[in-house]
Formats: sequence, structure tokens, C-alpha cells
Amino acid sequence: MTFSLLHATDFADRLLYKIIPPLKAGMIVLADRYAYTAFARDSVRGVDGQWVRELYSFAVRPDMVLYFRVPIDVSLDRLMARRVKLKFYEAGMDLGWSTNPTESFRLFQGRVLEEYDRIVDEFGLDVINAARSITEQQQEVRRLVAARIPVTSVETPDEQLA
Amino acid sequence: MSNSPETAIGAPDAGQPGQYYGRGIPYLPINGYPGKLIAIEGTDGVGRSTQILLLREWLEVRGYGVVETGWTRSELMAPTIELAKSSNTLNKLTFVLLYATDFADRLEKEIIPALKAGFVVLSDRYIFTALARAGVRGVDRPWLRSLYAFAIAPHQVFYLKLDVETLIRRVLAARGMDFWESGMDLKHGDDIYDSFRAYQNRLLREYSSMADEFNFRVVDARRSIEQIQSELRRQVGAFLEQER
Repeated sequence: MTFSLLHATDFADRLLYKIIPPLKAGMIVLADRYAYTAFARDSVRGVDGQWVRELYSFAVRPDMVLYFRVPIDVSLDRLMARRVKLKFYEAGMDLGWSTNPTESFRLFQGRVLEEYDRIVDEFGLDVINAARSITEQQQEVRRLVAARIPVTSVETPDEQLA
Repeated sequence: MSNSPETAIGAPDAGQPGQYYGRGIPYLPINGYPGKLIAIEGTDGVGRSTQILLLREWLEVRGYGVVETGWTRSELMAPTIELAKSSNTLNKLTFVLLYATDFADRLEKEIIPALKAGFVVLSDRYIFTALARAGVRGVDRPWLRSLYAFAIAPHQVFYLKLDVETLIRRVLAARGMDFWESGMDLKHGDDIYDSFRAYQNRLLREYSSMADEFNFRVVDARRSIEQIQSELRRQVGAFLEQER
């Protein structure tokens, strides 16, 4: 519960100082994770799913939500390539499901992915296949965003990512 | 919460004394726990801590194990809340959520284990303080109630009720008015006396509006310490006797 509420407090602070003012100014706000992360993660930690949704009912509903879906093995490979140790909470070690961080990560993130799949249907998230190359993903993101949000000029991904 | 259908979801006995108000904490079932939760509510300066001290001694002499818990006293959150209050970074939403986090920490680490072990838990203020303070600051009431759906409905809630005139004199005699107790964050003006009076008046109205909803036992706090204490002892004693 305290894990969930502390994240909500942090979110409320960022919402009021970092998200709402630029929205009022007509700017585009890109949020790296949003309330959906809490819905998935807190449910897996045993907090009531409906309660978390009501808790975050003060959040602004995004105009668009992109969900980068990746199989556990791919995310594990990517994390291991970057750093040696998995973070304690990221691996769900607090739940005591396994003393092995990699095994715990698999179990925990496996449940988190299941929750995300439910959330995709519930809130109509746009799913991006994140197992592909960065360029491919970025092209899809730009296509989706351009279709939904009036962007006056979009550079082609090739110029940027070459 | 017990009466409103949208939050009384979960167990069929949700909102009953000793049960969660609403959905509760799924990983901490509390059914059949032998302890008793007794909340003492009231604004600043009504003499809650004096009454709790006396009540605790009396209960212990009679053989009850007593645990005390108080608002913003959690190990996890107390320093953070103090820090946030002393700076100017809090807004009404983060204020509410910090209080809720503090409460959740005490619920999980103090209140529930004590109830499980059969203690009488005396709570110096309870969620009603948070509901009143946030209500005065214009936070959505249904949202507040769904937020605190993880709280346990106390077996008894005593509301020490004081009129604003008596309250002002007591607070001034004891220690003077402070920034938060005077609701100076609401920016009703620079005069701390006027602000205190207006703020405490609105708080009292919030408490009164909750009295029926949450089955407050209203105690007239204008009387002497001894008179108030004997009323508390009579009611708490009768309840615990019947539950023995």
C-alpha cells in the first residue's frame, strides 16, 4: 500500500507542476510511463485493481497511450547487456517469490505483462511491437502520432536516425 | 463509506466495525482478529492526548494490552511530512496523499498486527481528520472516501466536540496558533486569528457532517477533563466488557 501511495504522491506532484501547466500552454507533453504502470505493478503486488484506478482518477486522461510490448526474454537480455544487476523492485524481489533476481524478474514481470494486456483492452492503448529495431518502432510511433495529433512538419526517421 | 454503495464493495460486511470500509487490502485479510480499534477524533486543542493517556492507564490497570497510534507518526513518513510542511512545495493533492501514505504505513505495521495480537488500539485521530482537512480544502469527497477504502472501520469513534470560541481560548492559552492549524495555506488573509477562526469553523462543520455517516459518539469537550474521561471509560469499558 505504501509503495502504491508514494508513487501516487510523486505522480500528483509531477501532474500539477510538470504536466498540467504545459498542457494549459498548448504544448505536447510526453510522459515516460503514466498511471497505467501503477495499475499493472500495484495489482501484481496485491493491491486492489479497482482501488488503484479510483486512486488515480485525478490524473488527466492522455490523448494517446503507446504501449511498447516486449517479451520477457528480450527485456531481460537488454537489461543484462546494460548493467550487471537487476534492481530490487524492478525484479519484484520485495514479493519474495524467488531469491534469484533473474528468476524473480521473470515471475514478476511475467505477471506485470499479463496485467498490461488487460489494461490495453480496458483503456484502448496503442501497442507497439518493441522487439523490433529502434528505427522500425520510431517509424510506427511517428505514423501513429501524426495520424492522431496535428503535427505541422515531421522529419523522416531516416534523416534523424541514420 | 459504509452506507455508500459505490465504495462498500468487497466483503459483504464491508464498513462494519473491525472490517475494512471498502475494498481493503487484499493481501491482509483481517477477519476474526481479536483486537479492538478505538478512535478519538476532534480538532486541535480539544484535549485528545490527555484523554488518551488517562484512558490508556485505566485500560492497562484493568488488564488490557493497549497500543497507541497517532496521525503522521509513521516511521516511514513522519520526517517527509515535516519537511514538506516546512517548505512550500505541498499542494492539497500531495498533502492528502502523504497523509494517506502515513496512515497506510501505520495500518500495516502497527494497527493490523496489534489487532491480530488482541490489543486495544487507541488511535489519536483517524481518517476523519484527513477527510475533514481535505474536505475544507475542496478535495472531491467521493474520491477521498474511495482513497480511504483500505481503512478499517473502528469499533468506536469518539468525537470530542468543542465550539470555536472555547477552542480559540484553549489554543491561545496553551501554545498559540500555528500556520497549518490556522489554515493559512488557504490564504484567507494575513490575520492569523481571523484565519484560525474561519478555518476551525469550517473544520467543525466537516466533522459534524461526518457524524452520522461514520457513527461518531459525540462527546461534549467543554466539560472538565475528569468528566470527559469518565464518559469515555464508561463507553469503552462497557464495550470491551461485552466483547470479552
